Amino acid sequence: MKAVILLLMLGMVNGCFAQSETASYHEWMNEGNTAYNDGDFELAVAKYNQVMEAGLESAPLYFNTGNAYYKMKDFPHAILFYEKALKLDPGNEDIRTNLEIANKAVVDKIEQLPQSFIARWWDSLKTLFPVDGWAWVSVIAFALVLLSLFAFLMSRRMGLRKTGFFAGILFIVVLALSLFFAIQNYQDARHKDEAIVMTSTVMVKSSPSVSSVDLFVLHEGAKVRILDANEEWNKIKIANGSVGWIQIKDIAAF
Amino acid sequence: MALLVLGGAYAQDATLKVSAKRQVSVGEQFRVAFEANADGKKFSAPSFEGFSVVGGPFNSTSSSVQIVNGSMTRSVSNTYTYVLRAEKEGNFTIGPASYVVDGNKVESEPFSITVVPGDPNAGASAQGPSQGSQQGSSSTHNTDDPQVSGKDLFLKLIPSKRSAYVGEPVVLTYKLYTRLPVSQLSVSKMPSYAGFWMKEINDNGNIRQSSEVVNGIEYSTAEVKKVVVIPQKSGKLTVEPMGIDCIAQIQTQRQPRHSNDPFDIFFNDPFFNRGYTNVQKTLTSSTVSLDVKALPVDGKPDSFSGAVGNYNFSAAIDRTELSTNEAATFTVTVSGSGNLELLNMPAPVFPPDFEVYDPKLSSSVDANSNGMNGTKKAEYLVIPRRAGNFSIPAVEFSFFNPAKGQYVTLHSAPMELSVAKGTGGDSNEGGVYATTQEGIKYLGSDIRHIMTDSSSLRPVNTHFFASMAYFVVMAALLLLFILALIIVRKRRLYKQDVVLVRNRQATKVAKGRLKNAHGFLKAGDQNHFYEEMSQALWGYISDKLGIERSVLSMDSVKQAMMAKGMDEALSDQFVDTLNTCEFARFAPGDAASKMEDLYNKGLNAIMSVENAEVRI
Repeated sequence: MKAVILLLMLGMVNGCFAQSETASYHEWMNEGNTAYNDGDFELAVAKYNQVMEAGLESAPLYFNTGNAYYKMKDFPHAILFYEKALKLDPGNEDIRTNLEIANKAVVDKIEQLPQSFIARWWDSLKTLFPVDGWAWVSVIAFALVLLSLFAFLMSRRMGLRKTGFFAGILFIVVLALSLFFAIQNYQDARHKDEAIVMTSTVMVKSSPSVSSVDLFVLHEGAKVRILDANEEWNKIKIANGSVGWIQIKDIAAF
Repeated sequence: MALLVLGGAYAQDATLKVSAKRQVSVGEQFRVAFEANADGKKFSAPSFEGFSVVGGPFNSTSSSVQIVNGSMTRSVSNTYTYVLRAEKEGNFTIGPASYVVDGNKVESEPFSITVVPGDPNAGASAQGPSQGSQQGSSSTHNTDDPQVSGKDLFLKLIPSKRSAYVGEPVVLTYKLYTRLPVSQLSVSKMPSYAGFWMKEINDNGNIRQSSEVVNGIEYSTAEVKKVVVIPQKSGKLTVEPMGIDCIAQIQTQRQPRHSNDPFDIFFNDPFFNRGYTNVQKTLTSSTVSLDVKALPVDGKPDSFSGAVGNYNFSAAIDRTELSTNEAATFTVTVSGSGNLELLNMPAPVFPPDFEVYDPKLSSSVDANSNGMNGTKKAEYLVIPRRAGNFSIPAVEFSFFNPAKGQYVTLHSAPMELSVAKGTGGDSNEGGVYATTQEGIKYLGSDIRHIMTDSSSLRPVNTHFFASMAYFVVMAALLLLFILALIIVRKRRLYKQDVVLVRNRQATKVAKGRLKNAHGFLKAGDQNHFYEEMSQALWGYISDKLGIERSVLSMDSVKQAMMAKGMDEALSDQFVDTLNTCEFARFAPGDAASKMEDLYNKGLNAIMSVENAEVRI
């Protein structure tokens, strides 16, 4: 009976949507890839968009779209899609490389606030797996915790009980970490709290009105963090810590 | 000696004469000349009441020496000229001007001028040629001389086309139309060519002359200036006008002058002297604006770099077989007409192992009436550093042909080069052969290629994490754990129960067995007795201590008894009894006494274990 339950669950994970529907999406994506290889980047973008409009996403889909935009020299869109891809697959080296290259075409060079070694290390650990990667790690860790606990509780042999105890503590730490990272990545992926400037030149204002003081200028491709929003304006923060208001129509959130 | 002569020649009759028009009209400008026939100083002008001074005084001096019959006459003329304008009508007198010659003050006669109202033309024509114009010398009139009309003399700017593409050469011709003899052309105002690149056409200084009929009037024409302009931006571009100063000779009816001079009479003859007057005239060309079209965006080739016109293109290399470290010359030639001087030469791509030097650029471009023709050349000196077969890919050159209105792309043929291993250079003699090692040359950089994995597609914002499935998996794991815990515990409990039952029944079973054994003892059945005895002992200890039958042995019994806390003597006794029983069973000896002995021994062992267990 347990085996049946497990199989059922695996089926739920992998078969979230019916197989017959996905077939055409795969086809569209493959058509887009073919168009890209043939150098018809506009067609490739159109095909990828078709998949996206159907409500699907994946890191390779966003990555390929970004590539097509890059080849058409539309750098803001390229950056936007690379960032989207990176959210789904934070550790992917190809995506990171291409994003770096695309960012070289951006006018604004914003000085990053310095990050401590621990923060960087923590970040690289976090981006080791995407959300679901960490989710599976947490599942395995949980299983191991239970196993250790079982050994600790049920073993008559002293050595096995000791091993179970320490392994249990270790796996509990792993479980907590994986849950933490999964939650963080999950939130990053779901919350559109970052954006790319899409207008070639845009004034960042001191308050959400056109008549307010111009604080600084951003150019297309610049990455901003969204702090607050009303109907037409977003309060944004750039990497060097400067804060201002920008019209929603000038940026694309991801 | 000359000075001496000068000293006495003129001292006695120094005069100061005034000359001007007698009648002028209001607003007219005219000249007043004070002419002294001797050198002097301190000229002081009268007050020109009723007139305003427009210019002056202009001082001019002339002297001439005549030798007649050995006697020398020297005449000096010293003229001070003012340009005046009549302000109001009436009779005015120009007062005496004074001049100091050799310490004597010389004064001019007062000179009266009548200022009449109105038409300056009438006044001028009535007056005839100015008295200021002198025979034999060419003096010029003011620019506002009314006698040269725009019909007789004008300057026209003729562009070769009114509309052009950016980069398309346009020839601008400045043409002078005249019905009068004209001389001394000079440019007074250079035209400006904002938004254009400009080159003047130099026809070796010749001015091309011809005749042309405009509106039924025949003009002689001269191409004064010719330039090639190349528009640099699109839109309406305006060529600012050019100004030209020239001197036109006008025919006038000259009134005969009464003079005693026979030469004068001769030259004043109406046949000979029709009365030509030199009039200075400033001509201004019209303003011309050109409609400049931007180059079409559609179909613009990647290799296009601003060439507009009609070109031929070729690329050549002087040798295709050479050795390493030998130089070859690769020549790219563009010839034709168009904006040759402005175009960028197409750059060939050489194999990375070639050493390429900056190209030597040469051009022979000729600006002429058709625009610009010529040839432009770029020579690349290349030196292959490695042996092998190389190919220089086709060089692409594209230009915009304004006549056809489309882009044209030309290709040169790709070239194959075979480079043999040359002598010298970095050849090694004997020993270890080593090449000069190089790092990997990166020829370009690009983004990483697309990923072809399409299997990971899934609906937006669906994650396994925090999904139903995730919680189900976690819950299932927990359930599994609890289940396992319960099952294991239950099984252990059950096992414990079995041991307990066996323990309780052990004595009873053993008693039965012993009773049977006693029966066999009485009957003297040796085999059955030993078998029963053995089973009684083994069965009892196994049940009592909860030892599985499969692991039952002397050692396991001893261990189990020790584990239960029974003392060693007891366990030794029991094992000894077991030993004796087993031994007697397979090696039967003298019967009765031994059997009796074993029976008692077994009974004792069981009893002691029973007692020991009760104690514990």
